[in-house]
This record gives sequence, structure tokens and C-alpha cells, in this order.
Amino acid sequence: MRRLTRFAGGVTLLTKFPSALWGENTERGDTMGFANKRLPSLLLALALAVIAAGNAAAKELIVGVSWANFQEERWKTDEAAMKEVLKRHGARYIGADAQSSNEKQISDIESLITRGATALIVLAWDSGAIGPAVAKAEAEGIPVVGYDRLIEKPGVFYLTFDNKEVGRIQAREVFKVQPKGNYVFIKGYAQDPNADFLHSGQLEVLKPAIDKGDIKIVGEQYTDGWRPENAQLNMEQILTANDNKVDAVVASNDGTAGGVVAALTAQGMEGIPVSGQDGDHAALNRVARGLQTVSVWKDARALGNAAARIAVALAKGTKPGKIAGAIKWSGGPKGVTLDAILLKPVPITRDNLEIVIKAGWVSKKVVCQGVTKNPPTACR
Amino acid sequence: MSGERGTPATEEGAFSRLVQTTGIDTRTLAMVAALIIIWMVLNALTGGIFLSARNLYNLTVQSCVVGIMATGMVLVITARHIDLSVGSVLGFTGMIIAYLQVELFTLGAAWNWPLTIVAGLALGALIGLWQGYWIAYRAVPAFVVTLAGLLMFRGAAFLVTDGRTVAPMDPTYQLLGGGIDGSIGANASWILGAVAVAMVILISLSARAKRRSFGFPVKPMWAEIGLIVIYSGLILGFVMLMNSYYKPRTEIPRGIPVPALILIVVVLVMTLLSRITKFGRYVFAMGGNPEAAELSGIDVKKVTVMIFVVMGILSAIAAVITTARLNAGANSMGMLSELSVIAAAVIGGTSLAGGVGTIAGAILGAVIMQSLENGMVLLGVSSPARQILIGLVLIAAVWFDATFRRKG
Amino acid sequence: MSEATGATPLVEMRNINKRFGGVRAVDDISVDLYPGEVLGILGHNGAGKSVLMKMLAGVFPMDSGEILIDGKLAVLNNPRAARALGIETIYQTLALADNLDAPANLFLGREILTRFGTLDDAAMEHESRKVLGRLNPSFTNIKQPVLNLSGGQRQSVAIARAIHFDARILIMDEPTAALGPEETAMVGDLVKQLKKEGIGIFLISHDLHDVFDLSDRITVIKNGRVVGTRRTSDVTRDEVLAMIILGKLPSGAPEGVKF
Repeated sequence: MRRLTRFAGGVTLLTKFPSALWGENTERGDTMGFANKRLPSLLLALALAVIAAGNAAAKELIVGVSWANFQEERWKTDEAAMKEVLKRHGARYIGADAQSSNEKQISDIESLITRGATALIVLAWDSGAIGPAVAKAEAEGIPVVGYDRLIEKPGVFYLTFDNKEVGRIQAREVFKVQPKGNYVFIKGYAQDPNADFLHSGQLEVLKPAIDKGDIKIVGEQYTDGWRPENAQLNMEQILTANDNKVDAVVASNDGTAGGVVAALTAQGMEGIPVSGQDGDHAALNRVARGLQTVSVWKDARALGNAAARIAVALAKGTKPGKIAGAIKWSGGPKGVTLDAILLKPVPITRDNLEIVIKAGWVSKKVVCQGVTKNPPTACR
Repeated sequence: MSGERGTPATEEGAFSRLVQTTGIDTRTLAMVAALIIIWMVLNALTGGIFLSARNLYNLTVQSCVVGIMATGMVLVITARHIDLSVGSVLGFTGMIIAYLQVELFTLGAAWNWPLTIVAGLALGALIGLWQGYWIAYRAVPAFVVTLAGLLMFRGAAFLVTDGRTVAPMDPTYQLLGGGIDGSIGANASWILGAVAVAMVILISLSARAKRRSFGFPVKPMWAEIGLIVIYSGLILGFVMLMNSYYKPRTEIPRGIPVPALILIVVVLVMTLLSRITKFGRYVFAMGGNPEAAELSGIDVKKVTVMIFVVMGILSAIAAVITTARLNAGANSMGMLSELSVIAAAVIGGTSLAGGVGTIAGAILGAVIMQSLENGMVLLGVSSPARQILIGLVLIAAVWFDATFRRKG
Repeated sequence: MSEATGATPLVEMRNINKRFGGVRAVDDISVDLYPGEVLGILGHNGAGKSVLMKMLAGVFPMDSGEILIDGKLAVLNNPRAARALGIETIYQTLALADNLDAPANLFLGREILTRFGTLDDAAMEHESRKVLGRLNPSFTNIKQPVLNLSGGQRQSVAIARAIHFDARILIMDEPTAALGPEETAMVGDLVKQLKKEGIGIFLISHDLHDVFDLSDRITVIKNGRVVGTRRTSDVTRDEVLAMIILGKLPSGAPEGVKF
């Protein structure tokens, strides 16, 4: 109600002017007088009107999203999903891309706050370094949702797919096909905390077999920047070092899995179990062709939708602990307890490719391209 | 080079006489020695795996991308410029090639992949034209223009498919990247080797005859023959090595990998360009004394643009090999590779002050750097540790070169 | 000395003007040169001598004025055009590319090519040996970068470059500034030889001795303007010094009279 009155006041000021100004001027023809006497008042009134309108707008829901690095394939999907839900709630989306730089992400967040964000969703490039920026937001009373990557600060809402579970699924699917033999770990980017979450999940599942001696780890490398070329080179060297005596590769995402498969193909070893995640189109095609065992699919749309929903709720004043579906989670390295929602990832293998096709994530044509012998059920 | 008389017959004197009689560049010799030492150490640490036919084959393929771009970087740096955009240009042209091949054109059609290569090379040339224009005709420093290029073309690479990785590529195209069928086999390799040896003999003898005809001093016969033997030995040794690596689970020798053939052709063309064309001579003159070049009537602006056009084309060739090898177009391809390319050129003897540099040196530099990376991954050294080591080697190499030059 | 009144000058530079920003480097200068003659050009640093000669050499464009070669209007908008008209320069800094060897420097910009269009290094080396051998017989190792050569050897390369291509007009900018007495004498002999061949020489110099020794006429430039032109035999050193420093003409002949 207050909003409306102020706004109305501004409008009234504006409407009063024409008669006050123009009438007098045309009668007197006194343009100099206008500049000296009437112009300042006109400007003042205009300023007041703008401020009134601005105040009205300030109550609008603005959700600021700070991305770590738009280079990777999937984030576009997350963004679209967020925007869809925000629109439905009448909230406005503002975003920034930190382009893989800590410094830039800090200034991005500051700029989002300045632009009026009432809630922040942060996909941290480096969760260790993001602290100062998050602290700033908290000081201004702006709630923060840590998106996909852990921000281990009390008060930050953690929304992710259970990345450790992703790792477990990756290891499980590969283990199903190859319960014994020489294993290689092609891990993610060392500076991305997710890389270690994934790896810890993978190790958890494989530990019994490793301890028993059924599985031997013959090669292990992080992949700089998650880049496929690096994964290819590392895999090539590991194959050389082991004279090709490798039976399974646990790769941490689809990009690196692509590099791994290229290296294996050069040795005629394509087809040995390889894991991945993200549901990249090229990877799903590899799954259909039998070159990759599993791509753990995290429907990025579900994550984006959830993030937007949570951000809007927090902006409206809901307490983090009271968000629908929130649990208390303390699985991070510092053991800090956070309110969190962990979505369940879906393993996509030969047997259930229809899931991604039916969900509209990828077309059947793309998945089944080049599949000739022994097609999976989804391609028949 | 004519020999000097009257040097005392001490050990040092004999060596320097040998060097001068044979006309071998001492700096190149030092680099080859460094490479051999690195190889020996890595081989010992890996228990003999490093110098296996298989690993050397892989090393050859792994060195091609940086090697190809390094040949162009030699000209750029010699002319007192720099090109920081090569990695991003590789990424962008690679994404365009992949996009055309997989999504726009009919995948598998015979005309598809050659056309995409032509398109990629044309794009690389255009980018070089663009950057060269700003540097030569608008006097914007190359550092700034190519730094902008580094940002712009990396962004463009992303925008081609909105970040999506494009795969797989045409099966014939993949051969250009090496891989299981991406080599020419034993017979073709031997034939090429024989042709190369024949060329070495022919060139040596015809150069000798020409010098004779002018009445210039020529190398003593023993030096001439000795050099021919060494070069032929290296060529045939390389062929034999490539033929010792078999296709998996067979006795079929792979032979020279296709990317290496591309590299060899590039090296030959670039060496000829820099040594026997006016263009090459002018690049070196511009680097040595830009004012003198202008005063001699050289069209410095035009030559500068050409240098960057050549660099753009080479980056596109590198993109072809990268996408073929990876069997995909990923928008992060080539990221940070400009640093390796510059390092290769500099380790190879190209002076950042301009006016000095060789193509062969750049290839040696690329092989040295790639050997370190290759060997360390064999040893399981982690990526951050590798970065530290390679950085230290870079400093050592350039320091060594600087002191060496001062003494010489 | 072979100028007769009424003969066409080899070079005529008429009313040449050149500004750099707000500074008039060359202010309405006119000079001329006859075949087989040496014109000494004297003046302070920054008087405009080098700029004037660089315009003749095609390095800078003129703001206004005319240059006639053999009585015909010449367009000299780049160094190539100047060379094509037989104008060669020996620069004060020698303008050599230190990383290239003597033959490469000698033929820079006008290389000898094989029938395939590639550089004919052997032919260039052959020609270079001939011309350098005449200038400097002790200079044999010509295939090393000129950086490693002595001052006199570098000078020989610069001179050889200027005289090898049928030069008709030679501009020498401080040719003896960095040379010892033996090499200076060599330059003097060269100049005399070139005069006999009918080549016209502009000799820019600080060294009064050299100028008096070698030139037939002297032009003094101060602050971008010509102070005066005199035959060397008609003036004394003191008078010339007065022209340079004070801009004062010697008493007697009126200003600007040329012979």
C-alpha cells in the first residue's frame, strides 16, 4: 500500500507540471526565465519520480547467479532451467560469468549485489577462495545458494546432485562389467572440489575389491581443466606404462571419457568399461555404440529449477531449514553443518537410454547415430 | 663456412675446427645434446619404457601440434612481434571444422571432410589477415592485438555450438590425427625414407657443385660425406623406429604416423620459406634492423601481414590434427598452447629481441618440451608438479642460450 | 670538376618544405648538384640536413617543392623509386641488418633470384666478393653476420651497397664520423674515384676538414634554411664557421649566388 501511494505521488507531481510550466511560458515567451527558474524544479520533480519508481522496483525479486565458467557444455542448460522457474515466480534473472577466475568471481558477486540481487546462486570456481564474496552477501542479508559445488560456510544453502553418489554410481556400473582386473582412474581437475568428491565415492565402492586384491590400480591422474585433450594424453601414457594391460577406466566426466576412448581406440582397446557423467550428447552416443559403459545423468534442468525455487523462497524470507526437502548435511572436508538438498543422479547405460530421449534431453537420432551392430533397446 | 687456419692443436681447438669445417651450428648441437641427456635420464627412470618404439611413436604424434605452430611462431618472434592468440585460433577453427563436418554437412560424404579442412585453413588465413592488418597498418602492438585475439577467438569457439562438444568426426578424417589406422605402413615409410636420403645427397652435392662453379671454398670431402651419413642415418633410424611399432595384437608395422607426415611437410615448407625466399629474407631483415629494412625499400607492412596469415594457417592445420586425434571438436581445444608454442620457439633458439631463429630449432624445442611432459606422465608425476618442472626447464634453457650466445 | 654554366644539373631541389608537427625542419630550401661534383652540406645538429637528403632518398614525402633529376620532375615517394633513379645513400648509422651477412645486406631489397624465383645466395656472394674485394682487400670472411665485423668492414659493406647498383647520385651522411685515419683516407680516395666517373655526391658532414678536402661547393644550412652556397675555393674556414654558427655570409658575393 505504501508503495502505491508513493508511486501515485510521483505521478501526480509529473501531471501537475505541464500546466505549471508551459502555460506561463508561452504567454510570456520567456525562455531565459524557464532555464533559470523552471528547469531546476522540473529536474527535481523528475528525480523524485524516478526515485519513487525505483523504490517500487526495489521490492521486485532479483536473483543473481554467479557462474564459474560457461565454457563447459552443461551450464547453459542449468541457466535456462533457472530462468524458466524465476519467470514463473515473477523474479528477474541477472547473471555473470567468472571465466575460471577467482578474482573475477568475487567482483562478479559484488556487482550482482550492487545491481540489486535479493538472493544469490553461486557456482563457485574455487570454493576455498569464494569466502570473502559470500561473506559480503551475508553481511547485506542476502541469502546464498551454493550451486552444485560445495561452499562450506555456515548459512549457505547447499544444492547439488550428490556428487559422491555420482562417483559411487560410476564405480558401480564399471564394477558390474569388470569385477576384477587392472583399473585406471582418470580424475577431474585438481582444483575442483567435485573431483575429489567423485573420487572418494568411486573408491568407497571399489575398496573391498581393492583390499581383496581383485582390483589393482595401475594408473591415476588428475585432468587439468577437465580438458579432453589432457585426458587423452594421460591415458595414452598410462597405457604405454602398463603395456596395455588395463581392463577398466573410471573416468570422472564425459569430456575426459571422450579423451580416454580416443586413446583406447588408438590401441584397438575400445569397448573396455569406461564411466562418465553429464549426459553429453557425444557420450550418450558412445554408450549406445558400446564404447562407454555409463554416463551418470544429472538432469541439470532439475537442478536449475530447484535452485531458482530455493532462491525465491529464501529471498521471500523462508528460513533455510524450512525449505521443502532440506536436510542437515555435514559431509564436507571441514565438517560444517549445512542445510542442503541433494538430488539423485541417474545412471544412463545401454539398457535405459530411453530415459534421456523421453525426457527431451537428447534426440534419438543423435543417440543412435552410427549404431549398426547390436543396437541397444532404445535404438531398435 | 670457410675454415680458419693456424689454430693450435689442443682439444678445444680441434673441436672448434671440426665445427667450423662441417658448418654445424654449435647452438643446435648443444640442444641436441640436451635432448639426448633428457631422454637418457627419462629412460633410466622409466625402466626403458621411454625409449620404446611405442612411446617414441606416441611422442612424435604428441609433438606435432605444438611443433607445427612453433614453426610459424619463429617467424613472428624473429620479426619482433608475438602471437598470443594461436591456442584460441586453434580452438575456433577446430570448432568450425567440427561443426561443419558433423552438423552442417552430411557426415561420411566423400567431399565433406576435405571441404571442411579447406574452410578451416581459409578461416585461419582470414584471422591472420585481420590481426596482421591491425598490427601492420594501424600500428597496434602485436601483443595487444593477439591478446585481444586470445580472448575473442576463445569466446567465438564457445559460441559455435554454445559450448557443446561435437563428435564423432568422419572416419577417414580421423586418420589425420594418428590412431590405429593413422599411419602409412612399413613400405610407404621406407620409400619416403629412401626419397629423403636421396634428396639429402642431391642437395649436398648440387650445393657443393654450385660453390665450386663460383670458385668458393668447399667443405673437405670427408666432412661432406660425414654429414650426409649422419643425416641419412637419422632419417633411416626414424623410419626403422616407426616401423618397429606394431598395430595392436598383430605383427603389422605402423610406419610413420600421418600427423608426423604433415609436420614434416610443414617443416620443409617453412624452412624453404625462411631460407630461400625473399619473404623469409625480409622477415629476418625486419627483425634485425626495422629501419634498415624500410630504407631498403622492403614493404614492411605487407610482409608483416603475411607473417600473421601464415601463423593463422598453421594454427588451423594444428586444429585439424587436434580434432582428428580427439575425434571431437571441444571448445577448450588448444587452451594455453600458445605458451608451449612460444616456449618451444625460444628453447629452440629464437631470440625474443628479434632477428634470430631457426625452424629446426623450434622443432627441437617442441620435442624437448613434449619429452618432459610425456616422460613425467609415464612416471605418474602429478600435473601441478609437472608445471613447476617445465617452467624451471624453460628458464634454464633460455639462460643457457643467453650465456652461450654471449660467449660466442 | 665538370660543370659549365648552362649545363643541366644532375639534381635540382627547388623550394623544398617539410614540417614535423609545429617545427619547420626544412624551410624553402633550394640546392642543386652537377655531375662529377661534390656538394658539401654543413650545419648544426638538427639544422635540417639529414631530413632534406632523406626526402631525396624517398624516405619522407615533401610537403611542397620539386625535385628534378636530369632536368625531369621526379616522384620520390619511397626508397625504391629513388634507387630506380640512381639515388643511393650511405647512412650515418649505416642501416645494416646486424643479423644478416654482408651479401644479404648488400642486396637487401634487390636480391638476385634464381630462375625459380628463389634467392641466389651463391651469385650474391660472388658479386659481393668482387665489389668488397675492390674496396677492402683484407675483408675475406664475408659470410658472417655483419655484427661481428669491424667498423671499417661495416663501412665497406654500406659503401659497396651504395655504389654497386649504377648509382648516379650518392648521398653520404657523416661517412667518416666513426672511422680511423686509414679508413677516412680510403673514403677520400673513393670519393675522388666516383667523381671521375661522373657521379654527383652530396656530402653531409660536421668535419670541416673533410668537407674542405673533398667538396667542390659548400652549402650551409641553419634552422632549416639555406644560409648560402659558395665554391670551396672562394671561402675560408672561418667564413664557413661564421655561416654555420652565426648565419653570417662572407662579405663580397651576394647571398644565394650559385656557380
